Amino acid sequence: MLKRPTLLWLLVPHVLYLGVLPLVNRVTPTVLGLPFLVFWMLLATLLTPASVWLAWRGDRKRAARRAAGRAGAPAGKRAGEGSAA
Amino acid sequence: MNATIATSIFAAFMVLTLALGLLAVRGGGRRKGGLTEWSVGGRSLGTVFIWVLMAGESYTSFSYLGAAGWGYNFGAPVLYVLAYMSCGYALGFVVGPMLWSYARRHGLVGITDLVAHRYGRRWLGTAVAVLATVCLLPYIQLQITGMGVVVTTISYGAISLNWAYFIGFAVTTLFVVVSGLRGSAWVSVLKDILVIATLAFLAVYVPLHYFDGYGPFLDRIVAEKPQWLTFPGHESGGLGQGWFITTSLLNSLTVVIFPTTVAGYLGARNADALRRNAVLLPFYNVLLFVPMLLGMAALFVVPGLTGADSNLALFKLVVDSLPAWLVGVTGVAAALSSIVPMAVFMLVIGTMWGRSVLGAVPRLAHRQKLWSQVVVVVAGALALLLTYTAPNTLVRLSLISYEGMAQLVPMILLGLVWRRLTLYGAVGGLVVGLVVVCGLVFTGHDPVWGVNAGIVALAVNLVVALGVTWLGPRPVDGRPDAEVLASDLDGEEDGPRAEGAGGDGGGAGGNGAAGVSPSPAR
Repeated sequence: MLKRPTLLWLLVPHVLYLGVLPLVNRVTPTVLGLPFLVFWMLLATLLTPASVWLAWRGDRKRAARRAAGRAGAPAGKRAGEGSAA
Repeated sequence: MNATIATSIFAAFMVLTLALGLLAVRGGGRRKGGLTEWSVGGRSLGTVFIWVLMAGESYTSFSYLGAAGWGYNFGAPVLYVLAYMSCGYALGFVVGPMLWSYARRHGLVGITDLVAHRYGRRWLGTAVAVLATVCLLPYIQLQITGMGVVVTTISYGAISLNWAYFIGFAVTTLFVVVSGLRGSAWVSVLKDILVIATLAFLAVYVPLHYFDGYGPFLDRIVAEKPQWLTFPGHESGGLGQGWFITTSLLNSLTVVIFPTTVAGYLGARNADALRRNAVLLPFYNVLLFVPMLLGMAALFVVPGLTGADSNLALFKLVVDSLPAWLVGVTGVAAALSSIVPMAVFMLVIGTMWGRSVLGAVPRLAHRQKLWSQVVVVVAGALALLLTYTAPNTLVRLSLISYEGMAQLVPMILLGLVWRRLTLYGAVGGLVVGLVVVCGLVFTGHDPVWGVNAGIVALAVNLVVALGVTWLGPRPVDGRPDAEVLASDLDGEEDGPRAEGAGGDGGGAGGNGAAGVSPSPAR
């Protein structure tokens, strides 16, 4: 877990759906006509894939960095670039 | 007239379903048809098939019936389905590849197999198989019942409940026995297309037809039914925020080790297919809003539904507002939402028994696939019989099953990452957890103190597991950590860049002869 800090992105859905529930458990204000709670749940549903994707991107970056390191490239520089292979 | 049209459409699609399901057996190509081929599709499914299959098995008849019924009766509490699925799919990003690579390395085909290997005891696999079967059988019954209700409604009563039950059982059993997981995946394609199309259509059509559009529909709900729009919902009997949070949390942990989910994981061609899938799968949940909202819409159109009738909230609207052929197509989508999950439930039960119960008997061990197929028929028939003799209402049953299955979380997830967790600790925790679940649920104490009873049981389970592990005896197990624990934790093995690694998927499943896991049937 410590080696893959970007996995923390995977907890975002838990925070959105469950963690902040007391704050969003309300009818008003309505957004696009949707009662606030329903709007929030819809938003959380759409953000879930995004958060998993961020975790995935983190893994890919690390893998790219490792590959670069193994190839003998200046690992520090490569790691800083942040491109996902 | 209406009945004839809708019934013909239903019949035509059932034939198509059966054809697809049976033809899927050819998808394995020239591979030998062993248990791995049947149970987990030879570990050969790519991202698309895995997506279709896992979306297919999670979107059950409950989504059409129970979700609409909960929306109708309670309102907001129904959102727990959405919450736990999304959270669970996210966790699947880690758990899926972990279980996949572990199973592949040791030639395992399910969770019973997996615990037998981890703890080095065959009987543990047998015990878990029995437990899981008890938890899964209600689901099969639930699907059969759901299918019956839907088919009777959309055929305008032309097909009786009892016949509808039987059709569901017969179609599913036939293609599962022949094609296994691959059959479910192929039928899922048809199912997902129909489900997405019909729900998207209903989402647009129903508000327009009854309320002149979304604006007026939503305004009316907000103005007249605000009680439905926040927790604890309308007369939900204690389904407040605490219940929602704990239930969603518990279910999100459980869904990743649920035997049917694991069957999907193990069917993957490589770990990366699962990671991709974890990104894409949550999109499917958007569809869940449709039955929830339409259930609330039904409050205005068909007020006064009570009991089991409220589960039909969605279909009352459908039958009321659509021409017969569209009623038929929508009904087929819902019927397939029973068939696909039912297929995977039966497959999983068959696999568990063929592998870990009957397969553990030395005299029977060389025919594991055959025994699995036999058990599929037996389990399906048993569920059908229960449906005829002891029918029940939808949701409660599935909650009990989930809370029971949740007690396997420490044994499986903690066990795979933490070597010190002993056999006695894991078993002790499981047993105590199950006792607590049964004690609370069967005495009507769920939710208890405003939280899900299963999570209370899981907490006790964990305490016992840790306590026994620290204080109890330590069985001797000479195997190295690499042999016992999951190794995918740092994301290196079969990592995102190892495209195609393990893509051969030939069912060879690694060095299955290693360790004590029973694996003679390949």
